[in-house]
Amino acid sequence: MKYRCNICGYLYDDSRQEVPFNELPDSWTCPLCMASKSQFTLLEEKKEEKPAEPVSIDEDAFELSAGQLSALFSNLARGAEKQYIPAAQKEFTVLSEWFLKAAQDNSPASIEDLAEYLSNDINKGYKDIDSIATADSDRGALRVNVWGDKVTRMLSNLLERYQSEGEDFLLNTEVWVCTACGFIYPGDEPPQICPVCKVQDWKFEKQERRKA
Amino acid sequence: MKSYAVRNLRLCTKDCLCLYVCPTGATDTEDSIIDVDKCTGCGVCAESCPSGAITMMPLQLPPQQHKTEKVTAVLNLMSQSKAEQEKAALQIAKETEKDGLYRLMMAFARSNRIMAEDLLREAGYMLPQSSNAQDLLKSLIDNPPSPDFPVESAKKLLELIPCNDCR
Ligand code: SF4
Ligand code: SF4
Ligand SMILES: [Fe+2]
Repeated sequence: MKYRCNICGYLYDDSRQEVPFNELPDSWTCPLCMASKSQFTLLEEKKEEKPAEPVSIDEDAFELSAGQLSALFSNLARGAEKQYIPAAQKEFTVLSEWFLKAAQDNSPASIEDLAEYLSNDINKGYKDIDSIATADSDRGALRVNVWGDKVTRMLSNLLERYQSEGEDFLLNTEVWVCTACGFIYPGDEPPQICPVCKVQDWKFEKQERRKA
Repeated sequence: MKSYAVRNLRLCTKDCLCLYVCPTGATDTEDSIIDVDKCTGCGVCAESCPSGAITMMPLQLPPQQHKTEKVTAVLNLMSQSKAEQEKAALQIAKETEKDGLYRLMMAFARSNRIMAEDLLREAGYMLPQSSNAQDLLKSLIDNPPSPDFPVESAKKLLELIPCNDCR
């Protein structure tokens, strides 16, 4: 039987491996992207998904929050950087930072809150984007959907592992972020290419420890 | 189409072929950024660069890809979720004393920021030059969200960046 990793697409083919997939320990992780065994889907099992329900659009969707505006302006800062307009990059960054501050309200936040957002994104948000982007044949939106869906699954997977293993999970491990797609990778070194967006390893950044 | 040369400093190996061929000296600068004022857009440097480090950028950018209302709306909803997660992750990181959780949450914040940026780009805020971006700046200047909003930065941006698709 064959099993595919939901995150990076790695194929585990029982006929080519010494240990059948079912007999691998639960602690086994994908050799390419480090996702848990639970992120693998049996290939034959993948049946036709039922058609997505029509998505209704709320007027609120066009209002942007402070947090969104912060990301919008940091993105435009990146655009200015790529075009070598440093003066504009600087001003966009001022706006982005102002909105980031405005977004912080010190309201309590928990790992459980994050888990809920993640499951909502995976079970609803990305499915909605997929059906609308497909209907409107917007390949850019389909691309952001595929990358985002995979990265979000990885985030959810990492959170689950942190919840079950606690601090031990990351005790002797570095945490790397792909600066192109946001993929997070636990390991001593970053992967040679990003399992999600295929960018090279130098685009990964290590998450530093808190400064004393 | 009129264009100008930009050099990707990350790819440039400083082999300096572009220095020999540029007729105006635009590529020969102390900070390695090609001098836009001197560049005539002839393209010789880009053709001669052995590292593919020089790109010819059109002076007038074409209008960005059109986005349907529905695509914009559904991507906006997702970027809102990512913004909320960034905020929550930063809050958890701020409060925790545990090293693993701190690093995981800071990485989560970063990841969510990168995803939110990508989503907003695909929702229609691709180019600083687009009328979308310019209209947003104008509306923030006309109605600042609070008295300490840096209106000057927004005004400066409108001066710095010409609109490429304004009616
Ligand atoms: S020719 Fe290319 S690699 Fe050489 S200095 Fe110029 S930009 Fe850099
Ligand atoms: S395009 Fe021509 S003028 Fe401009 S930097 Fe290159 S060689 Fe010089
Ligand atoms: Fe990536």
